Amino acid sequence: MKFKSKQTERMYTVLFMAIVTVVFIAVTSGIYLYTRDKIITNKTLFIKKAVLFAANIDVGDSAKDIEETYKKSIKEIRDADGKLKYMEVYAGGNGKLTGYAVIVTGPGLWGEIEAVLGFDRDLKKMTGIDFIKQNETPGLGARISEKWFREQFRDRMGPFKLVPEGTAKGGNEIDAITGASITSNAVLDIVNRTISNVREIVK
Amino acid sequence: MAAKGKVKKTFLSGLGADNPIFAQVLGICSTLAVTNVLKNTVVMVMGLIFVTSLSNFTISLLRNYIPSRIRMMVETLIIAAYVIIVDIVLKAYVPDISRQLGPYVGLIITNCIIMGRAEAFALSNPVGLSVADGLSAGMGYGYVLIIIAFFRELLGSGSIWGLRVLGSWWTNWFIMVMAPGAFFMLAIFIWVVRGLITEREKEEVKS
Repeated sequence: MKFKSKQTERMYTVLFMAIVTVVFIAVTSGIYLYTRDKIITNKTLFIKKAVLFAANIDVGDSAKDIEETYKKSIKEIRDADGKLKYMEVYAGGNGKLTGYAVIVTGPGLWGEIEAVLGFDRDLKKMTGIDFIKQNETPGLGARISEKWFREQFRDRMGPFKLVPEGTAKGGNEIDAITGASITSNAVLDIVNRTISNVREIVK
Repeated sequence: MAAKGKVKKTFLSGLGADNPIFAQVLGICSTLAVTNVLKNTVVMVMGLIFVTSLSNFTISLLRNYIPSRIRMMVETLIIAAYVIIVDIVLKAYVPDISRQLGPYVGLIITNCIIMGRAEAFALSNPVGLSVADGLSAGMGYGYVLIIIAFFRELLGSGSIWGLRVLGSWWTNWFIMVMAPGAFFMLAIFIWVVRGLITEREKEEVKS
């Protein structure tokens, strides 16, 4: 483009950038606002489903199912500031306390791992584990999200120890994931640490 | 029609002779990162095709108005906007895949193919041709990644699209799941394809 002077060229450049920026921010913000509720719902649904899995309560995949079951069987206990301390589990459907669930975090290989751990009423056994957040290597460490790995912790109590994949014989042995020792160890640390201090969290 | 021929030629060049992966060796970072699981790869590829074609479209549309001094800022802004849109849409409609891809989607912004096509093509070509070029660069990137991911997942996890296809007799090659496996697969792929192309060129020269 031809300009009358350097001044107008500069003005045009600044103005152009400003307009383009405003237009694109408007478009992305619009799409963000449009999908925001859906994204938040997805996130809470995912957490609720994880809590239910850790509490060993069967639930379908539909949003309605998860919401209803969660409402019926999980009671969130918060401290004075509204921060989640732990959750009480009422699995039987008869209003009797059957266990607890806690959300804990720990370092993984690439980032934080956030997990829900479920325990029975006497804190003597785990009812299960599920992961809310993990950025482990897809195909390797991310396999902690596979069902067989999570199922291993059901109805058992640690401290656990890792053995090579496919060789766990029950008791306190947990199958590690081959090729992902750091992630396996990170999960084990989180679980064992939580087992040792769960009595202080659930009071 | 001359214009139509040009579009076709532009479109085919990205798939073959000017393929971003095996001819220009661009966008390798994401090739290494996402190709160990086929499903993630396909989503990544669709995201990239969407972003390259639309960013090429937009930049080409504005090409006569973008002051050349700040053209890179404008290009980055446009590309980033489209990537954010992809990220938001994945989060809202396919949360599982979005969770698995994690930070990779945001990293589409840094994929050199997109910026490269914007700079080298969209800034100096009409809209239709630029879209064809963007589509072709994205798809050229895409099919190479999908081939690599197919073999990496098959050899590394014994599965395709998450379904186990090889029996229990198969010992997974863990190196295929990790980054070095991608280097090997990519190198073998480039070797085979370039081998074939140079063979043909030699024959053409002879005859």
